[in-house]
Parts: sequence; C-alpha cells; structure tokens
Amino acid sequence: MEDIIKLKHVTKIYKMGAEEICAVNDVSLRIHREEVCCLLGKSGSGKSTLLNLIAGLEKPTAGQIIFHKKHMERMTEDQLANFRQKYVGFVFQSYNLLPTLTALENVTLPLIFRQVPLKERQERAMEMLEAVGLADRANHLPREMSGGQQQRVSIARAFINTPEVVFADEPTGNLDTKTTYEMMDLITGLAKKNAQTLVIVTHDLELSEYADRIVVLHDGKIDHVEEKKATTESNTVQ
Amino acid sequence: MSTRDLIDMALRNLRKRKLRTALTILGVIIGTTSIVVMISIGIGMNKSFENQIQEWGNLQVIEVYNYNNSGTNTELKLDLPTIESFKTMEHVEVVTPVLNEYMLLTYDKKYVADVNFVGVWPEAMSALGYNVVEGRGLESGDTDVIVVGGTIPQQFYNPKLSWEMRYSTDPPEVDLSSGRVGITYDYNYGTRNADKKIKETKVKVVGMMSESGQSGYSVVVPMETLEKIREEKNKYQNPDGANDNKKKQKVYDNVMVKVDDMEHVMDVQNQIKDMGFTAYSLTDQLESMKETTKMLRIVLGAIGAISMIVAAISITNTMVMAIYERTKEIGIMKVIGASLKDIRRLFLTEAAFIGFAGGVLGSILSLATSKIVNIVAAGQGSTMQSYIPLWLYLSAILFATAVGIAAGFLPAQRAMKLSALTAIKTE
Repeated sequence: MEDIIKLKHVTKIYKMGAEEICAVNDVSLRIHREEVCCLLGKSGSGKSTLLNLIAGLEKPTAGQIIFHKKHMERMTEDQLANFRQKYVGFVFQSYNLLPTLTALENVTLPLIFRQVPLKERQERAMEMLEAVGLADRANHLPREMSGGQQQRVSIARAFINTPEVVFADEPTGNLDTKTTYEMMDLITGLAKKNAQTLVIVTHDLELSEYADRIVVLHDGKIDHVEEKKATTESNTVQ
Repeated sequence: MSTRDLIDMALRNLRKRKLRTALTILGVIIGTTSIVVMISIGIGMNKSFENQIQEWGNLQVIEVYNYNNSGTNTELKLDLPTIESFKTMEHVEVVTPVLNEYMLLTYDKKYVADVNFVGVWPEAMSALGYNVVEGRGLESGDTDVIVVGGTIPQQFYNPKLSWEMRYSTDPPEVDLSSGRVGITYDYNYGTRNADKKIKETKVKVVGMMSESGQSGYSVVVPMETLEKIREEKNKYQNPDGANDNKKKQKVYDNVMVKVDDMEHVMDVQNQIKDMGFTAYSLTDQLESMKETTKMLRIVLGAIGAISMIVAAISITNTMVMAIYERTKEIGIMKVIGASLKDIRRLFLTEAAFIGFAGGVLGSILSLATSKIVNIVAAGQGSTMQSYIPLWLYLSAILFATAVGIAAGFLPAQRAMKLSALTAIKTE
C-alpha cells in the first residue's frame, strides 16, 4: 500500500533546564494511505509527541518527516499553517471548540480560513452536522452541549475540509464508555467513507480494536507493530 | 480569510468584552477630541486673522510699485509692456494700473468733498475687491462715471463756510444718483476765489460701495477719465512742462495684480519681486501674523498629541490583555488552518476598529466641544474661536485608525508568534 507519511529516524529532545528528556527516540515509521493507524502507549511513552511531530505542530530535533514528498521538518511556520489547512484535520481530547461560536460556526471555521463563501460554508457545515447527528444543535454554544455532543462538533470540524489525514489525540479521553464506542464508530466510519487516513493516539487497548495497524510505543521507541488487516471489516461495523 | 469574515470576527471579539472595548474607545475619543479641538483653535486663530485682514481689502490682490528696496530704479518701469507681462503669469486673473489723485468732488455746484480718486481700468474693477452695494461697478468702456464709497455722501460741506462752521453744522443732504456731480482740482471751488479757468468734469454716479474698509472712503474712476483730469491739472499747474509729458510713454506708479486664488498669491508676488519691483499684498501680512502664532499652535497641537499617545498605549494594553485571554483560541485557530497572516490581521483589525470608532465618536464630540468653546469665548468677549474644517474631521478619523493599527502592531506580532501547540495546551 502507498505510504502517505514517512518518518525516518525521528528524534525529539526537550530541554528541561539542564536535563534533557528524549520524548521520541529514533523512530522510523510509515503510515499508509487510507489506513486507521493507532499509536498506542502509556503516559510518557512519547505517543502524543509523535503525533504532534507528524501533524507539524512541533519540529523534530533530528530525522525527517516526509508528507507528500515534502520535508515537513524544513517547512516554515507559514508553510505548516498552509499544510494543516489543506491536508489535515484534528480531533482533541478536550474538544477545543471556540466557546463564543455556535456549533455551526465552529464547524465552518476551517472553511473561513480557506475563504470559502458564506453560503457554501454553511451548507457544508450543516451537512457535516447532520452526518454526526447534531443538526438540531447547530445554533447551540459549546457550553450548552454535553461532552459527547461537543466531541461530535469537533469531529465535524475535523472532517469538513475532507482532509487526507485526520489526527485524533485521545479523542475519547473525556467520555464515558458508551459514548466512546459511538465516537469511535463515527470517526472510523467517516474516514472509511471518504477514503481518509486516520491516526489515533490512545492509551486504551480497547480503542486499538478499531485500528488496521497498531504501533505500540514504549519510552519513546516503537516496541512492536501489530497488523490487523483481516479483522478490519468487523471492527468498523460492530 | 476574507476581509468580510475578518471584520465580522474582529467585531465579535470586541463585543465579547464590551466594557473593556468601550473604555479603550473612550480613551481614543478623548485623545481625538483634544487634538481636534486644539488644532481647531489654531485654525480659528488664523481664520480670525483672515477675516480681520479681509476687512482691509482683498487678499488676492498684489500691489506693485516701481521702486525697489534700494530706492527708485530708473531701469524698471511700470509701463504697458510690463503690465502685459504680469498678465501672462500663471494664476494672474486681472491686472490694472492704479492712479491716486486727491481732488474735490462737487455736488450741485454748492457743496464739495475732499476725496481720494482711484483710477483703474474699468473692466478690472469688479475683480479688485471693491464691494458695490448699490447700482453697479465700473464696466468696460465706461467714461465720466464714478462709483463712490459708502461714507462719501456724509463728507460734503459748504466751502463758503468757515472751518469752525463746517464742523458744527450737519452735513448737507445729498442725493448723488440724481444730483449734479463733478470732479475738480480747483480747491477754491464754490468760493469767491474760484478760478473761472478751471472747468469741472461732470460725472455720473453709477454705484455705491459699502462703508467699511478701503471701499468706504474712495471714489473709483475709469483710468481714462482720471488721466484726462490729471493732465489738465498738470497743464494748469505747470504750463511749461506740459508738452514734455505728452510725448512720454505712459508709466504708472502703481499696478494692482489680482490672483485667482489666495494659495498662489505668494508665488506671483515673488515672481514680481524677482523682476525688481516692490510688491505688497495683504496675504503677506497674513503670513507674518500666522508665523508669529505658529509656536502657540504647535504647543496646542502637542498638548492634544499627549492624550493621543496615552490612548495609543491603552489600545496596546487592551490588545496584549486580549492575547493572554485568548491564547487557547489563537492556538485552536492556528491548528485548524489559520495562517500567521490571518492571526496578525485579526488583531490589527480589532485595534484599527478601536481607533476608528474612537476617531468617529471623537470627531462628533469635537464638534460639540468646538461649539461650546465658541459660545463661551464669545460670552467672555474673547476673539478666540474654534473652527473645524471638513478635512480635519477626516484626518482625525484616519489618524485615530492609524494610531490603532500602530498600537496593535506589537500585540499582533506576539499573537502571530505564539506556538500553536503551547497555545492549545493552555487552559
């Protein structure tokens, strides 16, 4: 399968005063197009840092990250912003919605930065809200919604641009078990439907059930990789 | 991000913190008002000079004399070719030689008045700032007609009376428009000593000028008529030299040049001076009056500027506070695709809007303040006045907006440089 992202000997070192902490240590990894890839690891295993590096939110101390044949470690701030706008969607543990915007407005935000006209923007956002089952909450503010509803809005926002890759950082960390499964079904369903690549970071072994491939991280290094091609279909349907 | 979305989002952000936005705008209002009012008082000062000087005559007229600072110059002649050359200068509207003669104006062969007769080319009169209030001014082709100043009718007296009597009796009733009016150089006219050889020149009064200023005390006569009378007078007073005079080309002592606009008066005047003539204009005097108060106006402006600086600092403060409050928001926007430029433009737009709103409201407050200043000053009998031209309002709004943008620049730069990851992790 074609690789959409390649990591070559990527290392990230944080300096805490005089001490150096190696969060990601010489990781080489390929993420295939249209797969659901799970970065699994305990707290402190470097999984979140790895996600931030792949998504271009942080720059590696050493190594190369190649996306679409472009070296992300060499991009400027502006190029990275442009890259995120075009190719990437994010789902966060803490939803990260703008508290003063309604659900609909939060979903339209990525389109605003892409200068999509108002009418088209609202139509697409409305479709997206319908897809996540929140059409009736379009004009509610985040604080008027439950955690699960807020995460649905944030998922709608991540997918509205039909990005090639969606990154989800502990997307269900703040949700109860029932909602967690709903949310995972939603994310993987949307990704499969649009042939998008999904990278999920989690510490929850159960969530990794949804993945085509599980990359287990330990102390900043890849411990092992599990391929689960055969079970993909049954997982996404459930 | 499109401009519309940018403005929309900026306004939304400002509305979110109404009180703080309002207080910051209030600072700009006060800054704008103080600058505008201070400048308006400076402008009012110049304006009252202009009004004052305009009473003395026309600001667009330059008077030219045929001598320079080193005394009479024989090389320079205010003759017809010179006048033609003045006419061809840029911005020159009208040129006329001027002749001044003190003679007597007579009424009904009984009364006389001592008057300064001003001879001009009749077609030039309307341009020279004489304020005709009744009848008409001189027109092209006029001869033997005059336009009299508003105070002239009161200046007639009976020459037969002794000096004491002339002052103690009321001036005679005269109706210049219908009565018999003439000009004479016989100073004994109407008395026993009158010289029969001197014939008065009969003229018709076609108009009357206002009483104030230069118009009030003069009688304007077509050049041709006044020259003819002067020639007779010269012949009478100096019968031998008469022939000499005739052969000479006409040379004038004084020429008036009317310029199309006050702005160009100094230009034209300097050109004439460069030719070696002496030239005066009221604009000259106005400029020197303005120069003496320049310092005062600068100080007034500086006082206003100080409050604007304070307002600018308060805008910067507000925007810096906004960054701290909105760190997470900025992070989210960056992560979901806002470019660095979008973030900077958003902050600059918010700061610019604070400046703009302050500028607009400040202009309105200035209008009210200016009115109050004028009322209070008038009540105190002071000549101080505040005058706000339209350009001052417009530049005040532009300036306030520019101050807003300048004050917002540093915060915008900081917001732009925030690390998206750090920002998004902020709680």
